[in-house]
Amino acid sequence: MADGPLRGVRILDLTHVWAGPLGTRILADLGAEMVKIEAPYGRGPQKAVYTPIGGWIGGEAGDEPWNSNAIFVKLARNSRSVCINLKSEAGRDTLLKLVQVADVIIENFSARAMPSLGLDYETLKSTNPRIIYVTMPGYGSYGPYRDWVAFGPSVEPMSGLTNVTGYSKEQPFNTAMALMDPIEAVSLTAAVVTALRQKERTNKGARVEMSLHEAGVSYSGPWLIEHQLGGNIEPIGNRHPQMAPHGVYPCRGEDEWIAVACRNDAEWASLCASIGSGLDPGANLEQRRGDHEAIDAVIATWTRSRLKTQAAEELQAAGVSAGAVNTTPDMTADPQVRHRGFFVPLEAFDTPMPGSPIKLNGASSNDWTPCPKLGADNAGILREWLDYPDAEIGKLEQNGVLLNKPPT
Amino acid sequence: MDRILEIGSFAAGFCGRLFAQAGCEVVRVEPAVAEPGWVSAAASDLFLHPGKRRLQTSDAELITKLANRADVVVVEAATADALTELGFDAWDTNVKVAITPFGRTGPKRNWRATSSVLLAMGGYTYIMGDPDRAPLTLPGHYVDFQSGQLAYTAANACRLANEKNVIDVGMLEVVMSLSQFTTILWHCTGQIRQRHGSDYWSTVPTNLFACTDGWVYINIVPTFWDPFTVFLDRPNLVIDERFSTNNLRMENRDPLHEIIGEAIAVMTKAQVRARATAHRIPVGVVQTFDDVLADSHLAERQFWQRVNGSNVSVRSPSPAFRIDNAARPELTLAEPEAGDG
Repeated sequence: MADGPLRGVRILDLTHVWAGPLGTRILADLGAEMVKIEAPYGRGPQKAVYTPIGGWIGGEAGDEPWNSNAIFVKLARNSRSVCINLKSEAGRDTLLKLVQVADVIIENFSARAMPSLGLDYETLKSTNPRIIYVTMPGYGSYGPYRDWVAFGPSVEPMSGLTNVTGYSKEQPFNTAMALMDPIEAVSLTAAVVTALRQKERTNKGARVEMSLHEAGVSYSGPWLIEHQLGGNIEPIGNRHPQMAPHGVYPCRGEDEWIAVACRNDAEWASLCASIGSGLDPGANLEQRRGDHEAIDAVIATWTRSRLKTQAAEELQAAGVSAGAVNTTPDMTADPQVRHRGFFVPLEAFDTPMPGSPIKLNGASSNDWTPCPKLGADNAGILREWLDYPDAEIGKLEQNGVLLNKPPT
Repeated sequence: MDRILEIGSFAAGFCGRLFAQAGCEVVRVEPAVAEPGWVSAAASDLFLHPGKRRLQTSDAELITKLANRADVVVVEAATADALTELGFDAWDTNVKVAITPFGRTGPKRNWRATSSVLLAMGGYTYIMGDPDRAPLTLPGHYVDFQSGQLAYTAANACRLANEKNVIDVGMLEVVMSLSQFTTILWHCTGQIRQRHGSDYWSTVPTNLFACTDGWVYINIVPTFWDPFTVFLDRPNLVIDERFSTNNLRMENRDPLHEIIGEAIAVMTKAQVRARATAHRIPVGVVQTFDDVLADSHLAERQFWQRVNGSNVSVRSPSPAFRIDNAARPELTLAEPEAGDG
């Protein structure tokens, strides 16, 4: 497990898919004692029926495909795994005992799921009045949309973002990256520390509610306010309302590009000095916006004759904001990324995984632990947290309450 | 409650916004020249800075004094050297957070970047846009806000531990850490994820479709295929072998999109949404900003916060989480002061 400032904070993580697990990974990287409470089929069935979207760790499903789903593994480091059948009475009781000694419990089921398991907030609170319960249904637990089915890509157009994304105003554009999920994931981390600090003051637990929908709308805030102030907002492709030039330009090679932006007059003058070609270094922002098309053409002629990394180096040396449009192999080869050891070969087959963007003095990834196998910590957690005797643990295993692989 | 000193632009501003919303005393040092944003300075200030005290000063001595009195200082700087020049290293604050484009170390620590540059270098831009056109950058302040929010989390974690620490948030690493499956797809399969417009590509059908009065996003992961055919009023699709698995739907994407397009084209957004609710199908409607502001769900959930400026009053989205269903307080945007601390 990672050492970090959240050491000693016990979190029960019932989340699945992306937003929840990404948020809990960030908290685990900060040292939280993260215990994944997993459903027997949570990682998929015993026999692989399809290749997951991120592939398999090591390239193949292997003997335990449920433990090899790369996208799951990427999100589960620094945690421990307890696999419980929560639909059994003994499973539910076991979870409630864990709640008694935990600080936080997080779930992102639909609004109906926890109550239907008999695990609503009132029950959790009566078990442990100091518990922080975080619930993350896609559209929240109340309101007209509470039962709508939510995935990141389908929630995105509800947030307003689709109004401003795209090449032109004729056709809206969806990022197709499930962008609401990482927004909610990072918001989850903020929510948890805020609630923990409130508990520090009040010595009481809390119920925290969030949703994919509201997380997305919260990031549209500046546009929503600008709209109320009468501003005109529409998709402008790769341009920027307050910078010019601002774009993505072709470089030497197939599908090779560079992003270039001039934040101010000084950067513009530096750009002109770098690429020459008769551009007016004294042009102000309004003039540059008016001539954007012609300026783009000059920049593109210059960038086409260079490799994207070369063009970026040259522009950066002149003090212009520029960077290659990278693929993953480009990123992993980047000297900056390598210098800071961002990708961590932690998991099986030394598969590099994105590291933490939070670097703290005295902390490193050296003490990180890889994704646990399903149910790997069933006995360990029950012994450490609840002092369960081996006989009791054995009984739960025999009765199918605790599992370490999906049922056949 | 903690005293926070905030210096910087959109990332530091978002971090400070969260502290202010949590009830902390936030002092913001306004930059001499505002960074160009995606909206007007007025809109940006109304979103980011209500509830803060705003000082206009470049007095290094005063800033050091404020930093030393604060529990947390959050500084966003254009480069690592710019951070040092501010005096960051000398401040004796319990928790110091540095937000820079590339982090405080490494050969590119003094490279300059905007959001579009960081999105490009961090792998987002390559996969956004149409395959036969230039990659598309993401508008807005996603990178700034995510960085600010992570800074907030890390600073509070240190405060919880009562731990004196210096936190280094590199915005490029923020972007790279938040990819869904782009990086592992390469590392585990050797495939480079491509851009396919609004089409999610590996799950079919997942795309935008035009209806009579706008657009809707259909997001059908395999478990929703059967009810989706009923939603679409094309139940025979269930027995159409071309579409019986996700892999086959990927192979036959074009004819399937044509069928869906025809069915959706005669419906209104409201009809699509009503049918999606009835059949429990994941569908989103492309909402205009007016639609979002008038959204009945957000209204019933009392999502909006009233923010009053000196001569304007607007509704602002509240933070993404709510604790114990607490009411969203009305907030005021203070005018900047020529401060002496």
